[in-house]
Amino acid sequence: MTISTKDPGNWRARLTDPPFLFSLIAVAVLALIWITTVNLANRETAATTLAGKNLAGDVADTYEAQVVRALREIDHTLKLVGYSLSTDTPGRVLADLRDKELLPPELLFTVNVLDANGIMRATTHPANAAGHPDAAFLDLVADSRGMAVGLPRYADVSGEWRLHFGRPHRDGNGDVAGIVTLSVHAGYFVSGYEFGVLGEESVLGIVGVDGVFRVRRTGNVVSAGDRIDYATLASTGGVADEGAVLERNAWDDVARFTVSRKLFEFPLAIVVGVSEAEHLAPAQRRVATYFERAALASAILLGVVAVLAWVSWQLQRTRERAMDERIEHAKRVEYLAYHDNLTDLPNRSLFSRNLSAKMHDARLEESGLALMFLDVDRFKNINDSLGHDAGDALLREVGRRIRGALGADDIVARLGGDEFVVLLPGVRVPEEIVPVLERLLSILGRPVALSKQEFRVTVSIGVTLFPADGEDEQTLFKNADAAMRHAKEQGKNNFQFYSSGLSSDSLERLSLESSLRNALERDELCLYFQAKQDVASGGIVGVEALLRWRHPDLGLVYPMRFISLAEESGLIVPIGRWVLRKACEQNVTWINEGFAPICMAVNLSARQFLDRGLLEDVKGALDASGMDASLLELEITESMVMQDVAQAVTVLEELKSMGVKIAIDDFGTGYSSLSTLKQFPLDTFKIDRSFVRDVTTSADDQSLIEAIIAVGKSLHLTVVAEGVETAEQARLLRDRGCDQIQGYFVNRPMAGESFTGLLGAHPATGTSGQRA
Amino acid sequence: MLAAVVSVAQADVVVVVAPDSPLISLTRSQLSDIYLGRINRLPDGTPVVPVDQADISAAHSEFYEKYLGRTPAQIKAHWSKLIFTGRGQPPRTVADGDKLATYVAMNPNTIGYVDPAVVDRQLKVLSIE
Repeated sequence: MTISTKDPGNWRARLTDPPFLFSLIAVAVLALIWITTVNLANRETAATTLAGKNLAGDVADTYEAQVVRALREIDHTLKLVGYSLSTDTPGRVLADLRDKELLPPELLFTVNVLDANGIMRATTHPANAAGHPDAAFLDLVADSRGMAVGLPRYADVSGEWRLHFGRPHRDGNGDVAGIVTLSVHAGYFVSGYEFGVLGEESVLGIVGVDGVFRVRRTGNVVSAGDRIDYATLASTGGVADEGAVLERNAWDDVARFTVSRKLFEFPLAIVVGVSEAEHLAPAQRRVATYFERAALASAILLGVVAVLAWVSWQLQRTRERAMDERIEHAKRVEYLAYHDNLTDLPNRSLFSRNLSAKMHDARLEESGLALMFLDVDRFKNINDSLGHDAGDALLREVGRRIRGALGADDIVARLGGDEFVVLLPGVRVPEEIVPVLERLLSILGRPVALSKQEFRVTVSIGVTLFPADGEDEQTLFKNADAAMRHAKEQGKNNFQFYSSGLSSDSLERLSLESSLRNALERDELCLYFQAKQDVASGGIVGVEALLRWRHPDLGLVYPMRFISLAEESGLIVPIGRWVLRKACEQNVTWINEGFAPICMAVNLSARQFLDRGLLEDVKGALDASGMDASLLELEITESMVMQDVAQAVTVLEELKSMGVKIAIDDFGTGYSSLSTLKQFPLDTFKIDRSFVRDVTTSADDQSLIEAIIAVGKSLHLTVVAEGVETAEQARLLRDRGCDQIQGYFVNRPMAGESFTGLLGAHPATGTSGQRA
Repeated sequence: MLAAVVSVAQADVVVVVAPDSPLISLTRSQLSDIYLGRINRLPDGTPVVPVDQADISAAHSEFYEKYLGRTPAQIKAHWSKLIFTGRGQPPRTVADGDKLATYVAMNPNTIGYVDPAVVDRQLKVLSIE
């Protein structure tokens, strides 16, 4: 997930994003925990340090007072003994003072009296007095104004350090008459060491201004005699009346809150040091506990956040997955809604949308597009004979082939059943897509393997153009459908472009189909007749029977509207039989009424031509009417004979052998080659009306007609021009050597009774161009 | 013979008071408290003042080790602390057993310890429980 940091809205959204929120809260709580912990630890340490300094100060106050009192007591004893010496001998002085309990306890203190030469005169403790004093101490005492403090001496007798104090005893002249000394074991001065207060590592001590420790105690260890730099102690240890200083003591390198104070009356200083390590130990244990708790809390918090984040992540993933599935499902649903599930091609809905879009594009670009309907020929037969599975397989294959034959911009859809629709964008004129259509027919015409057999299927294609043929979907669909129907009528396996003439209504077809079945029985069919006039004589030499259907609702219906219907339903055979019979009967009627015999032309449909019963029907009609076979001419189209030339030749030869004449109708519109036509036993060419229409204005059509007439002449055929409407056309055709003309110029198709009148007006002459 | 000498040399010290003292016996802890300066009266209100022998005497160490379970050094440290901190004074010290016997005999309410050899009709030996 990437979120632009510039968008405040997203920032806000991100704040409520659970993983981010959790992390933020976790970081905040962690920060709070650790800041608090470090703060507590610092305060604890600071408070303890301060307490340590204060403790050192307090201990120093007490210790100073105790030392000073002890020293004063000692000094007092020295003075008392000295004073007493002036009245008595040393031994008696000591004994006397002791009896009076004026001497300090013998257990600790030993008092000695020496003469001026340093000779021991009396002592309270002979053992302790042994070896005492040394010369240096005597000199020190002799020179001293107050109480002299000697260096500590190790006493082998008692195994302890002893401190020696002394005062000179002067006579009346001020000369030294003797010396009073007092010794006490050094531990006495540090016996106030309280383990409960000071622990094992603190220090109590007395140091001389000479830098020599008189005594020093740490824990249970009492030492004396070592020397330090008094000046350094004085400067760093705060000999002044200040608070304790944290320092590493020079003598044992232990960090202590240290106080040292010079004593006012004596050349000594006390040293008190509270061990930092020991003093801080409980605080450090508490601090360590704080940190342990903080670490534990952090771990728990991180664990909880991790679990929450994991759960949240899982939840989000589940949600995303559900969302993906929903989207996927929606896509699938939409796809299914817009696609044909058999061929996977777009369905009609999607095609309609695409068509609208493409029409819109085409309008903007002033371009066009082609819409084609493709219908599989005889699909119903395949479906019925091979089953639905085969039918489905065929449709899939057809869909694949259509798709494969087209470009990427072209759109193919299946409308349902066997109908496909194709949209070709960017098409303006029909010629552009003829290659596409031919390719489609070719590709679709290739064999298809169905049910382990090979089949050939064909399609009929109807094409309509936008915007030329229609400007809306409905019209385009209708037109394409009509064009496709036309292609079917044109014998299938071909394509047809829509033209306005094809506007046969599908609805009409439906109603026609149902009513056509009854048309014969109800006698709704009838024949109209159109004359063929000999251009040379002006007489009517022939007539073409034209089928009409007097529909009870629709009125007169032309064959182009129902013949294909009749062909599809198979009704064409009985209808054709009826037409043959009716035409022959009418011709015989006219002959019997006294008119000169004329040739009766009847159109055959493609289905009729291929029907095995054709010869029987022709024979039946001739026999029933009694008309001469030579008066019957059957009109067929080029396409009918070209489909199977050999078969056509056989049928035509048989008809010919009966005496029936054969005419090629609508000549010029097919693609028949002259060499093929020569194989057929033909009698007549009928030039298609499309050539005649513009013959007077188009030089091309003129030369074409000339060519057709020339071909007809070269094959010794009668040439008939259809659709002649004006005298000018008639004259031109006559000049070019056309034999007969047919069209409105001569007469509109009319019912039999009316035609009888026309015959009377234009009697056939003996010089008719009708060949025998 | 040798055994007797050894046993005497080793110590038999006994706790003594003046013959007219009402005391007959003391507990060991009472004796400790008296000699360590913790009490100066017995529970019944009788004043009691301990007397010590010089620390160089054999009886001194014998007494403290036997009855108080402490070495002379410990006793010295104990009194050092009390004196230095101004919280007490050690028992009066006399030079030897004879002097102690004399002193105790003459001073009611005092209590002391001597070699049994020194004990005569002037002193009463206390039983220590």
